[in-house]
Amino acid sequence: MSTQDRPLSPHLQVYRWQWTMAYSILHRATGVGLAVGTLYLAWWLLALAGGAESFATVSEFSGGIIGRLLLFGWTWALFYHLGNGIRHLFWDAGKGFELDTAAMSGHINVAFSVVATLALWAIAYAAA
Amino acid sequence: MSLETRLARVRGLGSAKDGTHHWWAQRLTAVALVPLTIWFAVSVAGMTGGNYAEAVAWVGSPINTVLLLLLIAATFHHVQLGIQVVLEDYVHGEGAKIAALMFVKFACAILAVASGYAVLRVAFVGG
Amino acid sequence: MVEFTLPANSKIGKGKTWPKADGATNVKRFNIYRWNGDDGKNPQVDTYEVDMDQCGPMVLDALIKIKNEIDQTLTFRRSCREGICGSCAMNIDGTNTLACTKFIDEVKGEVNVYPLPHMSVVKDLVPDVNTVYAQLSAIEPWMKTQSPPPPDKERLQSPEDRRKLDGLYECILCFCCSTSCPSYWWNGERYLGPAVLLQAYRWIVDSRDEYTGDRLDALEDPFRLYRCHTIMNCSKTCPKGLNPARAIAEIKKLMIQRQF
Repeated sequence: MSTQDRPLSPHLQVYRWQWTMAYSILHRATGVGLAVGTLYLAWWLLALAGGAESFATVSEFSGGIIGRLLLFGWTWALFYHLGNGIRHLFWDAGKGFELDTAAMSGHINVAFSVVATLALWAIAYAAA
Repeated sequence: MSLETRLARVRGLGSAKDGTHHWWAQRLTAVALVPLTIWFAVSVAGMTGGNYAEAVAWVGSPINTVLLLLLIAATFHHVQLGIQVVLEDYVHGEGAKIAALMFVKFACAILAVASGYAVLRVAFVGG
Repeated sequence: MVEFTLPANSKIGKGKTWPKADGATNVKRFNIYRWNGDDGKNPQVDTYEVDMDQCGPMVLDALIKIKNEIDQTLTFRRSCREGICGSCAMNIDGTNTLACTKFIDEVKGEVNVYPLPHMSVVKDLVPDVNTVYAQLSAIEPWMKTQSPPPPDKERLQSPEDRRKLDGLYECILCFCCSTSCPSYWWNGERYLGPAVLLQAYRWIVDSRDEYTGDRLDALEDPFRLYRCHTIMNCSKTCPKGLNPARAIAEIKKLMIQRQF
């Protein structure tokens, strides 16, 4: 009987999903999503520098259905990641580690991300 | 199966005596990005529906130009540091990990310089 | 590339059902992970129907009853049965805890019992803990001094300094926390994990220890310490109510403190 035959015990397959790991993986997912979004930011700036025609292209895309969906997603990702980032900064200072405090701050952040996204898009629609 | 003891395997190549700098830079850029991204998001949302000339004027306005350059620098540094951690977590083959890290760092550098150039061009040369 | 799915030899198949004893009315079903190295088969989940009217209140009571009366081959670690030795740490109803302090009634429906996650399985619910033990010895969990002790008494410590050890010395090294950490799952070979880092902090913060700097040097590594991303599964799951996430954050604060 060799130790190489030993199986690996299940992990993601059995571990109960909790606010701890859920809020954490969302932070990573929104971070990666935003990193992809910087490509769009770079495109927007370069299109602006390129002249009225290139800017018209990026504006048209942004106003289209796919563009708006992406921008809406990136808006929510930004506010979730920003709020959760602040939550992380408190932890880095050593504060907020009691389980009920950490859970509550996570729930508040989700609520904040939704409210802030809707508020920003309300501003955008009002300006348009 | 290696005959190395568990202790030898766990001690590995020893402590890198490094890692705090990366951690600190991530926090520093994060703190800077809180006001910068809020300012950027609100400003851009407020400009929805605006035309090309308005966008150029906004970027060219001195305070906005400076803030945009700071935003670009902080963003791409933060992105590069963050993605590095993700790759270190999930990519375990040494060669693949190094290649992926290099790619991301170069990509961020290129995008940062390109974006910075775009901002400066609009600011100094106009539309 | 990290494997999020189980390797082929670890995939879990369907197992046996062991029906209840005659006349049992208050029955609870326990779905328990089984594997032994002798039959060449993959792991499986066996279901045991247990009469709760004839069983103690804790999951460990059920496991012992199953082993005594139903299936003698069921294998698990246990000792004190009072939550102080750490032997019976396992994944029950999806979270890591001690079988001897987990009330069966806290689980609605069937009770799923698995070994601690992402560990090499020796048999059934017994994981191979040699790596975590090696990681513990690597942080040198003993007092290190250059100064000799006072000739006539113990090394002194103020009450304030002694209070700093509260929440750290009580760890029973059950490793529920480390095996609940996704970062430890993906990088357990190089990341020390919450249990070992909590012990490292216990010695770093002990005022009598004189090797604080060397201890911090040994931890200052992108993997040993900095794979912690404050996921906080560790603190959530600790059956002794300790907070490894906070201890790790304090280590990181010391790393910054010695730079500025």
